[in-house]
Amino acid sequence: MRLGKILLAVIILMSLLSYTHGQTRIRCASTTSTQNSGLFDYLLPIFEKETGIKVDIVAVGTGAALEIGKRGDADVVFVHAKEEELRLLREGYFANRYDVMYNDFVIVGPPDDPAGLKGLSSATEAFQRLAQRGATFISRGDNSGTHKKELKIWKKAGLNPKGRKWYLEVGQSMAKTLRIANEKRAYTLTDRGTWLALKDKERMDLEIVVEGDPVLFNQYGVMAVNPKRHPHVKYKEALKFIRFLISEKGQKAIATFRDSHGNQLFYPNASKGVRIKPIE
Amino acid sequence: MNEILIAFKRAALLIISLDRELLEIILLSLRISLSAIFVATVAGVLTAALLAFRRFPLRGAIVSVLNTFMGLPPVVVGLVLYLILSRSGPLGFLGLLYTPTAMFIAQAVLAYPIVAAMSYSAIRSVRPEIRLAALGLGATGFQASLAVVRDARYGIVSSVMAGLGRVMAEVGAVLIVGGNIAGYTRVMTTTIALEYDKGDFSLALALGIILLLISLCINLVMYLFQRRMTLAD
Amino acid sequence: MQIELKGITKSYGENMALQDCSVIFRKSTFYAILGPNGSGKSTLLRIASLLEPPDRGEVIYRNEKGPLKKDLPLRRRIAIVLPGNTLFNDTVFNNVAYGLRIRGMDRKRVSEKVYNILKKFGLSDKADHNAKALSSGQAQRVSIARALVTEPECLFLDEPTASLDPPNTELIEKIIKETSLRKGITVVMITHNMFQAKRLADRVVFMYEGRIIEEENSEKFFTTPSEELTRRFISGNMVW
Repeated sequence: MRLGKILLAVIILMSLLSYTHGQTRIRCASTTSTQNSGLFDYLLPIFEKETGIKVDIVAVGTGAALEIGKRGDADVVFVHAKEEELRLLREGYFANRYDVMYNDFVIVGPPDDPAGLKGLSSATEAFQRLAQRGATFISRGDNSGTHKKELKIWKKAGLNPKGRKWYLEVGQSMAKTLRIANEKRAYTLTDRGTWLALKDKERMDLEIVVEGDPVLFNQYGVMAVNPKRHPHVKYKEALKFIRFLISEKGQKAIATFRDSHGNQLFYPNASKGVRIKPIE
Repeated sequence: MNEILIAFKRAALLIISLDRELLEIILLSLRISLSAIFVATVAGVLTAALLAFRRFPLRGAIVSVLNTFMGLPPVVVGLVLYLILSRSGPLGFLGLLYTPTAMFIAQAVLAYPIVAAMSYSAIRSVRPEIRLAALGLGATGFQASLAVVRDARYGIVSSVMAGLGRVMAEVGAVLIVGGNIAGYTRVMTTTIALEYDKGDFSLALALGIILLLISLCINLVMYLFQRRMTLAD
Repeated sequence: MQIELKGITKSYGENMALQDCSVIFRKSTFYAILGPNGSGKSTLLRIASLLEPPDRGEVIYRNEKGPLKKDLPLRRRIAIVLPGNTLFNDTVFNNVAYGLRIRGMDRKRVSEKVYNILKKFGLSDKADHNAKALSSGQAQRVSIARALVTEPECLFLDEPTASLDPPNTELIEKIIKETSLRKGITVVMITHNMFQAKRLADRVVFMYEGRIIEEENSEKFFTTPSEELTRRFISGNMVW
């Protein structure tokens, strides 16, 4: 039975080890696309070195990230759904929102382009043609920033594709959605970053069919959880993080970040010389 | 097929190089799962013994509930715990969400019904004469119950193994309440999910292979432990 | 120690197991309980050994100083060997040590006593074997060793040699006989075997349909029974 006793001792010891960390840390709810691109792995060490603050990234869909922030389970959110961000800001859930950077969405599809979208410059028109020809379209369907953007375009096109045979809502992350589109020879809307990261690595047999429409513009913004609503949040530290992201140094870091294939994925566009005013 | 071969190669390389980050992820996984199974075992075996030895109202209903909860979807556990531990939830003041402690709680909740229900049936399958035999040798009621539990120990160890298997392989609950924060709440399974998401299939599979190897080691240790207890002719 | 059963009645649901049974088991005496299947022998034994309470009636343990209370110290002066294999799923050593360990005896003395009794029972080489791996004769010896190692003042045995072959039966009988010669010990044994009762017991209790029909000196019981039922039973004319 000696073995049993040793085993028991090890298990008890392991349970007693405390999980706490001494360092100051803030929690940032962000999106999978940002996290998976490697941007945070590049940015956060710079910020940590400067301030000693460790940023814990919880990467989920934009919808979930905003919900986490609303509930007070994060100190700061970094997402891409500008209209909704502004609405929640007005409703008092968040404070101090700033544009940080952008990239863009593209419509990808099979190279033989069965719906004939190539050459179109308008995403709205492209969606209308998809519906006309009944070409298979894979939707994120997960309330993420990309999904919200997609719905906005459908609305603009005056269509409601929900429930149509050719419209598949998969409820998965961007990478998984792209993989499904690839397997099903279908079209989908993706952010350029994830597309670039995946297309070489997984030898995707898809290509960009529509890009450059202003509606496809993808703005990333950062905002702090309102300390008036959730007094426990680390508001001061969150502001430091926000300040860093829109500072010259942070913006330069975003501009110099490259993915493993050497592509620039994000373009900084914070307004210069902004003074952050903490709410009273 | 090629990717699977590459995965095995990468798994071997990862083990040989003993990458610090990977090591920390493995240790965190073990720490969370082992402490969760420890608590689940203590609570589960106590529950099983109580159900087996005491008569009280709703006993049958509790057993049915435990049996049902053996199949609790981890995502549901994660979500319910999230809502409880969230700052806007009833236990929000504890600030436990997105900590290893929250993951430990989720895994303990997942393992508990398995240990309790399987231990209960193991204890119930001990012949009633065992209890009488102990009493007939001068045992107190409590000592006789202990003798019965002792007789059921192989079944109980199996229940613990089943529970451990479930929590080690579980990803849904820890992802929700842990948040998969790098260097803080990232464990083996959430890393695998992340690497898959990032499209690094061979790394994801390599990590899966390592996870399986760890489970194999734990099972081997438990097997030896069981053999020590058996000592068959 | 002397055990007195007074007007014991016990039923399981509709099924009346014992009806108004009274008997005294005196100290330093070997009792055999005989009777057809379902006559209530095992129930009587479990009630006498305090494993089960009666529905009505009293069980009184008495020594020189008078009646003893039915509590743990009293139960620890009794040992019961139940029918069939009731060994723990554990080593032979741990099975035999059980009664001593629950009494809080220290390791060294436990091991000393256990090895002594195993040696006496010819089981020395089996100490580390699992009890499940024993032959039925060995298992029965372990069961009895497990009871005797606690040095009981009352020993109850429920068919200790059922399903054993003649050599093993002889061995077990020898052990029981020797035990019964200890000073002051009361032995109560259920058996199906009249010859065994004759060989071992000082007195015989005959039961039929939940009642005690006769309690008599062994020799007299088999030669000149006073009851008609007993006569039919020992002449083999009872159909059950």
